[in-house]
Amino acid sequence: MKTTDLLMKIDRRIIYLILLVVVTLPLIFPSVQSVRVMPPVEKLFNAIDTIPADKSLIIDFDYDPQTLPELEPMAIAILRHAFERRIKVLALSLYVQPLGLATNALNQVTAEYNSKASTRADSIIYGRDYVFLGWQPPPLVPILGMGESIINVYKTDYYGNQTDTLPLMQRIKNYSNVGLLVSLSSGDPPRWWIEYAQNRFGLHVGAGITAVSASEFYPYLQTGQFSGLMVGMKGAAEYEEIVSSQMGIVGRRKASEALPSLTYAHLVMIAFIVVGNIGFFIQRRHK
Amino acid sequence: MLVFVFGILGIIPFIIPHPAVQNVDEYLRNNLLKILAAFALILGLGSLLRVHIDKMKRKGQNWQYSWVLILTFVVSAIIGLFGGVNGTGILPTRIGSFPFDIWTIYLNVEVPLGATMFALLSFFMASAAYRAFRARSTEATLLLAAAFVVMLGVLPFGNRISPHLPSFAQWIMDVPNVAGQRGILFGVALGMLATALKIILGIERSWLGGGGE
Amino acid sequence: MISVLVAGIFTLAPPTNVVVSDTPDDGGGAITIEWQLSADDAQLQRYEIYRSEDGLKYDKVGFIGRGRNAYEDETQDRTPYIYKVAAIMDTMRALSEPSTPVMSSAQWLDRNKINIIITVLLLGGMILYFIYRARRGRELYVRKISGLQAIDDAIGRATEMGKPILYCPGIGYIEDIATIASLSILGEVAKKCGQYDTKLINPHFDPIVYTVAREIVKEAYTDVGRPDAYDPDSVYFVTDSQFAYAAAVDGIMLRERPATNFLVGWFRAESLILAETGASTGAIQIAGTDQVSQLPFFVTACDYTLIGEELYAASAYISREPLLLGAIKGEDYGKIIIVGILVAASILGLLTKVPILQLFR
Repeated sequence: MKTTDLLMKIDRRIIYLILLVVVTLPLIFPSVQSVRVMPPVEKLFNAIDTIPADKSLIIDFDYDPQTLPELEPMAIAILRHAFERRIKVLALSLYVQPLGLATNALNQVTAEYNSKASTRADSIIYGRDYVFLGWQPPPLVPILGMGESIINVYKTDYYGNQTDTLPLMQRIKNYSNVGLLVSLSSGDPPRWWIEYAQNRFGLHVGAGITAVSASEFYPYLQTGQFSGLMVGMKGAAEYEEIVSSQMGIVGRRKASEALPSLTYAHLVMIAFIVVGNIGFFIQRRHK
Repeated sequence: MLVFVFGILGIIPFIIPHPAVQNVDEYLRNNLLKILAAFALILGLGSLLRVHIDKMKRKGQNWQYSWVLILTFVVSAIIGLFGGVNGTGILPTRIGSFPFDIWTIYLNVEVPLGATMFALLSFFMASAAYRAFRARSTEATLLLAAAFVVMLGVLPFGNRISPHLPSFAQWIMDVPNVAGQRGILFGVALGMLATALKIILGIERSWLGGGGE
Repeated sequence: MISVLVAGIFTLAPPTNVVVSDTPDDGGGAITIEWQLSADDAQLQRYEIYRSEDGLKYDKVGFIGRGRNAYEDETQDRTPYIYKVAAIMDTMRALSEPSTPVMSSAQWLDRNKINIIITVLLLGGMILYFIYRARRGRELYVRKISGLQAIDDAIGRATEMGKPILYCPGIGYIEDIATIASLSILGEVAKKCGQYDTKLINPHFDPIVYTVAREIVKEAYTDVGRPDAYDPDSVYFVTDSQFAYAAAVDGIMLRERPATNFLVGWFRAESLILAETGASTGAIQIAGTDQVSQLPFFVTACDYTLIGEELYAASAYISREPLLLGAIKGEDYGKIIIVGILVAASILGLLTKVPILQLFR
């Protein structure tokens, strides 16, 4: 087979096989790839880090199984940050599908902390340190209603407890007791929080979004409507990096572990494009 | 004539907020369209079933797959219609602790299959890029260079090549890319306006079938 | 005791100058309340809005955060309402003076849309003018569009090879202009398939589009005098799930091995899956969409791509009907006007940043 044919007509099955290997090997033998933290993620980190002691963080879990690889690492990194700083957390979802995924993230990070805690004060206790409010349709009801009273919107939490009996809800009444809301979503919810909660009540909003939606939401970051922004798996890896480097938090970093796969897949594509072009130039020279 | 009337009925509610007009528009959108869609769905499903039942009868090529389709169609229709969304219907949709209501089927079959198809994109992107990204001309070379810059810029690796690479990649996405997109969008918007006008006024009739005068 | 003293010393300033009006440019049922912020706005938790029909009994109808001085209330038309706004801080409340009574009503014109109406009338008028000119028999030039010129060759190729043609109209609905444009092209392709006796495979995502396409194909075969060649099973509905549809069309491509694939319409993420699978079978592919995000995939994987408005021009291009060509000319002039406005606005914008205009003051 001529060299040019070899370079220009590689069987697509070989391409798929090489891609499969470079994507799966880093996942089977995980290694954490360090990443430079960009300003939008740094802004979000600082916004959460500077939440006053008397205010809480609200996390809006709005991802589904398809966007879980990008957005769940963001949720876990933020929860680790909040629990390390003892920032009180309220969790909710505007849809029903993410409820189970939110529970998984909350339970995972809570278990991580409680496995290291030696006293009750050190532990993360439900009702005292965080509350999972659950889901209240339609989406605009909680967005608008929590401006006046959170317990009026969520009379019971996700687990069926009366919210007015939970210690945390004795002092977190409405948005004036909330330092920041972070919406983790693959769709419109971050926009809704800006349009309704921020415009009417002055709530500070940050977001974690999928890479595909990035171009839609960058304008909100540029205008200052978002206090910070994480985009895609790289954004999640950046948050994991900053939380690990600035706070020494140890824990599995799924986005950072997946980043080598992303990197090598891109490099493989670039390599194949270069190989194809080398063959093309050789062929052109011969002609 | 019908197209003209309903076309105008679609434009007027955009400029007149009065309930007398908005209620008619709402009725047309929420009721009439839904009824039309429901009937069209029945026709569509009928067509799907007819094609596959015919294939099964005459044992056409790959007729076995038609059996699979018909069987899964019937089973999921029965479970969905009579089992309720979360197993709250008249048909029991649980064997011991094993549920098989329509929501469980959707979450455990449809969603993973959709995610699998979505995952194929990465492989196809690689083979398409390898096959098509050749520096055949100046423009193609420029495109190739921009693609390399953007691909490397979004990776952590890119920062090691040059600390300016990520910002340059972002600039390519924010400026030339958006400029090109906006140009196409202007053309598309005007084209939509012209096509809609032609259809409403009956100048364009090829989509009706039979075309002609 | 201390709190009484404090309360005695500190009185909360109420909001002032409450102005109420019927919310303009709407279908009624809304009143806008505006006020001047309380002098103690920075300390407030929120403002509460109270409403009365008789000026005696007031009910709370809403609330809004501090720093905000406007609120829109849902009301019944032709009922007079009086409003008060209260500044709230902890348990303290300071009410404003009552407003004048106001009633909400529906308007017959949304004035915010006037600029859109004028633009549509202008551009639409221009398009209609060129259509009228075209009626008078003037020859109109349209540049070569490779994708549309290749249709005949592509169909001829399939006929010579004895293989079918796959026509995929995308996952759009009937109200999408791209889908309507695709159906126009489908009619022309179906006519040629009828003439040359080439098998057509036309799977559909949307049931409504399927019913329209079925009639189009049937009429097309009848138009060319081949109603006997029409196969009702050539046009069929598959599924309205995005990736299930992509999987089905991929399966058709791999089993039936069409010689020509048309991927024309409204597509999303499945576009590359379809295009690349088709390329792997060696078929000639003509694609077209107005989805900017999917164009790169089609350009990469297909032989010909109709970009944006080239898709809408297809019907006019293929039929060469003067009226339709006139509309394209009108569009082009519309684009010239838009480009002119953009250039002028950019220059003006640059001038205001760079103080050249100072020279003229």
